[in-house]
Amino acid sequence: MPGQTRRMLDSIVEQRSKGNPTLRAVTVTKLILKGIDPDRFTATSPDDATVVAKVRAIAAELGVKV
Amino acid sequence: MSIRNAYSTKPLPDAVAELQAALSGTDTRLVLLFASPAYDPAALSRQMKDAFPSACVVGCSTAGEIAGGKMLTGSVTAMALDSEIVSGAAAVVVPNLSAGIDLSRAFEQLEHYFQTARSDWAMDKYLGLVFADGLSGAEERLIEKLGDSTDVFFIGGSAGDDLHFQATYVYAEGKSYRNSAVLVLLRIEHGFEILKTQSFLPMGKSLLATAVDEEQRTVIEFDHKPALVAYAEALGIPPEDAPAQFFDHPLGLMAHGEPFVRSPQRSDGRSIVFYCHIKEGMQLEVLEATDIVADTRRAVEKHKNGRREIRGLIDFQCILRTLQLRQEQRCEQYGEIFAGIPMVGFSTYGEAYLGHLNQTSTMLLFH
Repeated sequence: MPGQTRRMLDSIVEQRSKGNPTLRAVTVTKLILKGIDPDRFTATSPDDATVVAKVRAIAAELGVKV
Repeated sequence: MSIRNAYSTKPLPDAVAELQAALSGTDTRLVLLFASPAYDPAALSRQMKDAFPSACVVGCSTAGEIAGGKMLTGSVTAMALDSEIVSGAAAVVVPNLSAGIDLSRAFEQLEHYFQTARSDWAMDKYLGLVFADGLSGAEERLIEKLGDSTDVFFIGGSAGDDLHFQATYVYAEGKSYRNSAVLVLLRIEHGFEILKTQSFLPMGKSLLATAVDEEQRTVIEFDHKPALVAYAEALGIPPEDAPAQFFDHPLGLMAHGEPFVRSPQRSDGRSIVFYCHIKEGMQLEVLEATDIVADTRRAVEKHKNGRREIRGLIDFQCILRTLQLRQEQRCEQYGEIFAGIPMVGFSTYGEAYLGHLNQTSTMLLFH
């Protein structure tokens, strides 16, 4: 289903930031430093299984479930 | 003064005696120590802990020291912070970095010291310092794991050894360590700010890392072309001329418009070895150097002219920036930026702030 990557990334950011705007920005930076830039994915982006697996692994590292 | 800084160029034990005389306060909670590799690390760490037995005494060896706006070599610099600034400070050692990084024990110790669960460390009250063996090659994993484990910011740098690249040391509570990192958690009473500054602008050209050897900090291909060829094409120069441009044209991983700088170290055939890792799939901007002194002055002045007084500052400055300042004979101009602020710092083998960085200055400002 297109957009799954973006939804997973949004979920990671929401769970880690808990509504705190500073933490939101920090979490996005952490994702970029881990090699996934959320801005490169939209709600209609086609999903690549490798990228989805990578995002799942990142979620696990950050201690959140997606 | 709640924050005091000093330096000495005397040998041991006179250097420690000089620092002790200059730094002694009523309730010193934290002593930061940055020293030339000319000082015996074990003796220095032990003597400083003996001089400040009730304080948390931490630091590392350097590739140049900074104190009170002076850029030094062959010295030992230190900063003492009283409980009015830092009401709690605890240091833990993460050993054996090259064998893998497990922070669980370190965080347990910090939670125990502060009697507060990690999840309750408020990021505006707690702050971490991190000093890592600068030759471990493990900083990316260490800092990433710190960021995974807590929302508290960790800032710091990698220990140096005056560009000998033989042995770097971190100090904690009277001992010195190699292949290790020291984590220091602080509870700060009147607030702090983190300043990250680098003197580069994006050139509007980007490179996508399509084949990498992350462990070796090597990019094999950008845009499915040999890395050196793609880098040279971005600059419009022949590949053989590319290494001469590495210093002025590092790459930036952009986040919120700010580059997290990745500096090329050398070419290896048609691959490029960097001073920190680049992951496959990362899109990087080619950067162009601007003026270190002017940019840093602007960044610090912005905070100096802010609503809150800067009571002390720690500067973790990339050795590559220091080398450039030395080459341009602008160390004095750089130091003048910090006039009137108690400050220490050192020239690092990499800076820590959310990630492992190059050609950057990360600064901690105490209010």
